[in-house]
Amino acid sequence: MSSLLSHEIGYSAPIEVHNHGFSPYVNNEGTSLGICGEDFVLVASDTRQSNGGYSINARRSPKAFELSNRTVIATTGCAADAKQLVEDMEQRAQYYVHKHGREMSTPAMAQVLSQLLYTRRFFPYYVFPIFAGLDAKGKGAVYNYDAIGNIECVSHYAYGSAAALLQPFLDNQINKAHQRGADTTAKPSRAQAVKLAIDAFTSATERDIYTGDWLEIFIVDSEGVHKLTRELKHD
Amino acid sequence: MSPILESAAGFKFDNVKRNQLLSEKGNAAPRATKTGTTIVGLIFKDGIILGADTRATSGPIVADKNCEKIHYLAPNMYCCGAGTAADTEFTTSMASSQLALHSLNTGREARVATAMTMLKQYLFRYQGHIGAYLVLGGYDVTGPHLYTIHAHGSTDKLPFVTMGSGSLAAMSVFESRWRAGLSREEGIELVKDAIEAGIFNDLGSGSNVDVCVITRNNVEYLRNYVMPNERVEKEQSYKFAPGTTEFIVPKPPATLSGEEEGTAMDVSA
Amino acid sequence: MFLTRSEYDRGVNTFSPEGRLFQVEYAIEAIKLGSTAIGIRTLEGVILAVEKRITSPLLVADSIEKILEIDSHIGCAMSGLTADSRTMIEHARVEAQNHTFTYEEVIPVESVTQAVCDLALRFGEGAEGQESTMSRPFGVSLLIAGVDERGPQLYHTDPSGTFLHYEAKAIGAGSEGAQTELQEQFHRDMALADAEVLALKVLKQVMEEKLSNTNVQLAKVTEQSGYHIYSKEELQEVIARM
Repeated sequence: MSSLLSHEIGYSAPIEVHNHGFSPYVNNEGTSLGICGEDFVLVASDTRQSNGGYSINARRSPKAFELSNRTVIATTGCAADAKQLVEDMEQRAQYYVHKHGREMSTPAMAQVLSQLLYTRRFFPYYVFPIFAGLDAKGKGAVYNYDAIGNIECVSHYAYGSAAALLQPFLDNQINKAHQRGADTTAKPSRAQAVKLAIDAFTSATERDIYTGDWLEIFIVDSEGVHKLTRELKHD
Repeated sequence: MSPILESAAGFKFDNVKRNQLLSEKGNAAPRATKTGTTIVGLIFKDGIILGADTRATSGPIVADKNCEKIHYLAPNMYCCGAGTAADTEFTTSMASSQLALHSLNTGREARVATAMTMLKQYLFRYQGHIGAYLVLGGYDVTGPHLYTIHAHGSTDKLPFVTMGSGSLAAMSVFESRWRAGLSREEGIELVKDAIEAGIFNDLGSGSNVDVCVITRNNVEYLRNYVMPNERVEKEQSYKFAPGTTEFIVPKPPATLSGEEEGTAMDVSA
Repeated sequence: MFLTRSEYDRGVNTFSPEGRLFQVEYAIEAIKLGSTAIGIRTLEGVILAVEKRITSPLLVADSIEKILEIDSHIGCAMSGLTADSRTMIEHARVEAQNHTFTYEEVIPVESVTQAVCDLALRFGEGAEGQESTMSRPFGVSLLIAGVDERGPQLYHTDPSGTFLHYEAKAIGAGSEGAQTELQEQFHRDMALADAEVLALKVLKQVMEEKLSNTNVQLAKVTEQSGYHIYSKEELQEVIARM
């Protein structure tokens, strides 16, 4: 009873339509978040890479990177574009050292990132960055961007396939949204931020098929950048 | 509702035109829950072993972490379902009812080929619009039988089968390790490994492994046979203090006191 | 040096056999014809002072501008062919604005000085495939004063594109005498108010005319208020303290 037709729908994965149009973008999915503390910042990303279907490209493909000894960046979107953008940033930071004889400050780097994105206004990098670091006074700063450089300084942010799950969780736990009588001025402690990041990602892994495998957390404080790795579920 | 309307059989199509119009205006139809799935079946020395993962998805979101995809058809028959969750659920439960009636009418245990024929004829009638992709296994008077049934109505009868989005991952395990005359333990181990291949390598599949062993005169349904994906403990508790959630104290309606001022009704003449 | 003048002083692209670029050296000589300009750095800020040559009683003194703003935290005094400074200061201003636009921070004083000096050697035929925009070296020297995170700073640039970091510097016709005077009078921890007076005193010594609030310009760059050019009244107040 086997026919040609029977093999066309052997499994229920999305059928890829191949046309000859130019489609340079791919969303590699996954999730990133950033949390701003008084004297530290934290960014975290899972390391699963996929392409919007049901397959996994790579289980250990980092999306968060250390840019300097006081800045980090977490990305989502197209992994290839993110890699290029991060290399651009590193080059700009190094050139600044050569030209001005000092390290670029965190707000200056935030501005450079915005400009790099806007220069590609009509053929953007398909990247949604969360950039974080300590400013000249040692205070934390977290910035999020859209793909063409709109910049916003925030207390916390989530981007990627589980952003819709994590953002309200962080709003509630960090900004105390919908909590009557809670102290809305207090910023999270470092230990608190790490716990929130881990719980955010173990929970996102439960419900978002594109988030999982490993979690990488970068914390920036006055001593520099610290990296933590946690195993997430692999299903 | 009138008894006639209530008992109207089959699907209703009276909203088709309206929904087409709505979708043309950009109101997409609601998204169905898919069991983006790994389901398998094989023949072993004494009968059939069926296996399934337990993840149900709605787009990229996991809708159910521990759903049941091995459905009861008859005392000697079970059926794994992949595709649209509602379709597999209703198709198998309707088939189950019909098989029960068939058994009562004939006074015998239903045959697997009978179930297969009922399902394919039903699905063919709907030209693939009922998104049920099934692995049917059972043991009847003629011995063990294993089928796949596709949504369009085609069927295959094979010694080992896989279906769903994780079918390729699972089939790679079967192709490398299945042989005729597997023991019960070997068969269960192979089914478990095939489902786990789907769970870990296919994003549409996940959570636990369900297994069902069907032999002559006996069925063992091993629900959550292995649970390789238990949630880790959270770093902290998220219990809120009582009174955290805002609420509104309703005001008693002012008019209930009966003493409100008003103009008395004119009752004269 | 004029004794060794030869064919080699015509082109700007040719070294003499002794390894000199005469046109650049002549340009440096041109500065010595200019009016005197003085810069003094203190811990509170930097003072710039220039002499204005009022060559005719009919000349409107206010039309002579020899101290200009580059950015809110950087000022610049000049001596020599002041018309050439237009190009340089325009370049410095663009560079400063560009830096603010790109990095959302003010440009370091040394970086703006470097940018100006990069321009100074773009004379001659130009590199391959590149049109040359300048036929000769600039005939102007600048004193660039500014305040950034490294504190108050004073730089001197010359037509060769060299820049040097100074604590006190005089350029122009009276520079020799003025520099000697600065060396004697300047001390590192002097107050800004004392530097104002010292600048004018030194100018007065090298000026032919009598110093007044119309024939000098004075400016300061401080951490608090950035670049500030003195009004007639403010100038008069300093003169009164001399």
